[in-house]
Amino acid sequence: MADDTIKLTVDGQEIEAKPGQTIIQAAQDADIYIPYLCYFPGMKPYGACRMCVVSTESGGRKGVQASCTTPVAPDMIVETNTEDIVDLRKGITDLLMTEHPHGCLTCHRAELCGPQDICQRHVGVTDRCTICPKNERCELKDTVRFMKLDMTSSFNYHRRDLPIHRDDPFYDRDYNLCIVCARCVRACDEVRGDTALSLVSRSGVALVGTSHGTSLLESGCEFCGSCIDACPTGALTERDYKWEKASSKVKTVCTNCPVGCELVMNVNDLNKVVRMTGDLSGEAGHGQACFKGKFGYDYPNHVRRLKYPMVRIDGELQRTTWGIALEAASQGLSQHLPEERGVILSPRGTNEDHYVGQKFARTVLATNNVDTGLNRSAELLATLAGTPGHGAATNPIWGIEQSNCVLVVAGNPTEEQNVLAVPVKKAVRAGAGLIVIDSRETELTRYATNWLRPRPGTEITLLGGIARVILDEALEDKEFVRDRLDGVDEFKKAIWSFDLMRVSGITGVSEEEIRVAARAYGNGSPASLLHGTDGIVSEDHADLLAAVMNLALMTGNIGAKGGGVYPLFSGANTQGGNDVGAAPNLLPGYRSVSVDSDREAIASVTGGMYPQRPGKSVRAMTAGDGIKALVVLADGWNPDAAGITSDGLGNPGFLVVSDVFMSETASRADVVFPAATYAEVTGTITNLERRVQMLNPGMSLRHEEREGWRTLAGLASVMGGTGFEYGSSHEVFEEIRKAVPEYVGITHARLEGRGIQTPASDETSRGTEILFTSGESASIISMAPMAIREPISAANREFPFTLGHGRVLMRPQEDVRIVQDEQNMNHVERDTWIEIHPDDASALDVVDGDRVIITAQSDASGAPLPETGTVRLTSPHRGFVFVTTLFAEVVTGMQDSDETDTSPSVRGLPLRHVSLAKAPVLREAGMAAD
Amino acid sequence: MSDGTTSASDELPSSGELRERSRKALGSQRQPTVTVLSSLIAVQDELHYIPDEAIEETATHTNSTINDVWSVASFYTNFRFTPPGGHTIDVCWGPSCHLNGAQNVMMRVHSELGVEGEGETGDGKLTLRYSTCLGACALAPVIAVDHHMKGRMSPDSAAAVVDGLKGA
Repeated sequence: MADDTIKLTVDGQEIEAKPGQTIIQAAQDADIYIPYLCYFPGMKPYGACRMCVVSTESGGRKGVQASCTTPVAPDMIVETNTEDIVDLRKGITDLLMTEHPHGCLTCHRAELCGPQDICQRHVGVTDRCTICPKNERCELKDTVRFMKLDMTSSFNYHRRDLPIHRDDPFYDRDYNLCIVCARCVRACDEVRGDTALSLVSRSGVALVGTSHGTSLLESGCEFCGSCIDACPTGALTERDYKWEKASSKVKTVCTNCPVGCELVMNVNDLNKVVRMTGDLSGEAGHGQACFKGKFGYDYPNHVRRLKYPMVRIDGELQRTTWGIALEAASQGLSQHLPEERGVILSPRGTNEDHYVGQKFARTVLATNNVDTGLNRSAELLATLAGTPGHGAATNPIWGIEQSNCVLVVAGNPTEEQNVLAVPVKKAVRAGAGLIVIDSRETELTRYATNWLRPRPGTEITLLGGIARVILDEALEDKEFVRDRLDGVDEFKKAIWSFDLMRVSGITGVSEEEIRVAARAYGNGSPASLLHGTDGIVSEDHADLLAAVMNLALMTGNIGAKGGGVYPLFSGANTQGGNDVGAAPNLLPGYRSVSVDSDREAIASVTGGMYPQRPGKSVRAMTAGDGIKALVVLADGWNPDAAGITSDGLGNPGFLVVSDVFMSETASRADVVFPAATYAEVTGTITNLERRVQMLNPGMSLRHEEREGWRTLAGLASVMGGTGFEYGSSHEVFEEIRKAVPEYVGITHARLEGRGIQTPASDETSRGTEILFTSGESASIISMAPMAIREPISAANREFPFTLGHGRVLMRPQEDVRIVQDEQNMNHVERDTWIEIHPDDASALDVVDGDRVIITAQSDASGAPLPETGTVRLTSPHRGFVFVTTLFAEVVTGMQDSDETDTSPSVRGLPLRHVSLAKAPVLREAGMAAD
Repeated sequence: MSDGTTSASDELPSSGELRERSRKALGSQRQPTVTVLSSLIAVQDELHYIPDEAIEETATHTNSTINDVWSVASFYTNFRFTPPGGHTIDVCWGPSCHLNGAQNVMMRVHSELGVEGEGETGDGKLTLRYSTCLGACALAPVIAVDHHMKGRMSPDSAAAVVDGLKGA
């Protein structure tokens, strides 16, 4: 490494730089500040603002260069502050200032003035920095301040007088303040791969905008907020809490999905969380966020939060003290048999909550009925655990960038695990192949090199077909198969049944398409594989996982950089819940409840008795299924919204709920505890790549709310449990370290500033980026045999069609109209296409372009469907119809939502049974789109 | 979005037709490298302007996004996004024409057309464009009707030309 460094001199100081670095990057690493505006970490050099000019001398050649575009060279001499350079920089700033209000920027009184003060210099109220939403965090202001620009300029200020765009969800765009640094355009294009913004027009009037100046809803925006975070001025701002000043900033982790993006929580002096910005040093999110993390954060501020414990007296929930509430809960729970009791933990809960929750269920309630709220696809993690020893993704999230091929099966990461889709898109841009196996059209199908649309439910057979082609064409990794795998012969025998013609018949995907995809994956090493469970019935989840693992194993994509398998589950800390044993069949550290030695091992750490009988999953518990007393930590999870059963929690005789709001679940409870939110707790959560990260409190608790673990430990103590005398979450975590081998090397202190990927074997370990690498610990991994089978027809008489609901950022071919509601907010109105198979169409007596009415069997879960649509004869499968709605409809839904906590209310896209009927023909003028 | 605002909208092709013609123009490019720019030129050659539909079709054809296409299209003054009138009048205001009285010619053309600058007349039938040089300085001041040069113009002769077009 030492040979690789380049030595150069900046302002007389000798510094070292890495090859390929630009001057500004090297200078920043050496703590030398060069003012800049268009440069942004993580983006390609751009050189728009020229603010970072420096004089350089290299190889005898002198020059003045933009330090953000000039690479370092050996023995280069850089001067950043000579008189000439400072002059030049001031001149450039003067020019820049002609189009940005700057009366206050160059005024010495700026920090002293209030918004309504009488200005001695007659700076117009609308041009004042004090009324700018980014006043407190304006990079332009900092830069101008650094340059000590004087108040006179030879140029006239020209106000653009453009209307402010305030009609899109979450965003305010004021291009009067734009300095055209194009950070936002590059954030959208380079960083996110979306291009919802671009530079429009040219020369003096060039500005950031969208095609034809349309709303962001039409331009393909996914509302991730990346451009707002990058904007150095007040041009792009979050609308909520727009003018709020942050009095403290705390690094924390988003608790909306298992990606676990690191965010900086901005809290104002009224103890409210007012903003979330991406943390550029974050290793899981790389400074990115999504519509949920960036705009769905503020529920901790809500006035309707539960403040005090409550118990049901005479049918009414009434305020009481913690002591009485705990006593009531204890009494109610004691009246039921162990197997009738259960604990459901919040998907947002910390590892500490989950750990104490499972310990409470097992040692106090004497049952294994414990699970996390969104652990609907426990199999997704379970089989992985069975094969090679662990659940979760085998490789880090951003390792996908190094993949040569990405295969996505039955999942929609763009919506469910948003930031996970970013490295996928980046890999595709860098030339990787992308195979999407999904009957629905999703955002990733736009980028796909191969989009296979199997009949929903036949994905496993299709994967088997791909495996068959890989074997037939000898594309497997022979060395890996020989050295690392077990059960290969049985597997090969089983795969023999996957005759391609038959696979093609079952899945509805042509043999050629299967072959092409198999070659792309087989030849594409390293290749990563992302798999969800969308559209696959829960009984098949284990088989899906086996198929996925087999494919990754036979091609040697396990243990390799850029390869790996990524399960797409939901719930921010479902992974951590499984790690610490908050699952009906797992004890902490993936020990089995039914193995005596495993139970003894845990009991020796914690004391108490661990029951043997396997417990019920969240699905079983919520369906009723013999459960008569339930303890539910309901933050960020509502059994009804999660779509587990149509009647939600069944009808337990006794319900204890700890929640942030009086949710549907809480309102049915006998005892309600007020819960602390993510913004108020200290604790750890574990993301899908096994990265344990710290949640830090930015807000202080206002009333009597308590963290989940504290509530449960209190309840345990009242019920006579021992070993629940924790003073803080640190103490809980110390116990977790003893109970979970994967967490041994992790402490709260070690997690400050940086997460650690489990397993971490000792306190010097930096964790494990990639599982199952070859090396001394190389293990033999078993393959699972699989069998081909005919799909089961789920059609019923009343609702004969199965509907696959897709969602994309934009559909240019469809006529999208923007209408404004009473609040002048944009909404999308469009004529949805209903994709129908030609045979079904003739049976329904409809032709291409006709209108049909959709009636869904049950609307308990899933995103809303359009009521009518225009027939297109493009469905590849008989009996299946497909509808694709726009992402814009999700964000406007979030914007209009009455929910106190909006992000969990964003509904998924399950398969649904529907009936179709030809719509009566309307002969109104202007009815037809074309 | 695609509501025709000009009064000549009844003569305009439908959205579907525009899409179809754009697609055809995009698909019939013969050069080895097809870019966003070449695609936009192909569309404008076919339709004489670039409607919304063509932006969308170009994005699909070149595997980019509408915003990217718009970024390119809006950069070049030669692309137009509204249907041109039936006839186009270019008035030159280059140095030679200017010295020979182009300003008066221009003002007279404005008043004859009832416009204040470049663009279409109210009925959408005629298009006025300014030109920095039509390359016929010896004939200054020059105007061009549908790319046919007319030299040594006076305000009156220019008015006669415009009048002739109005009747046409």
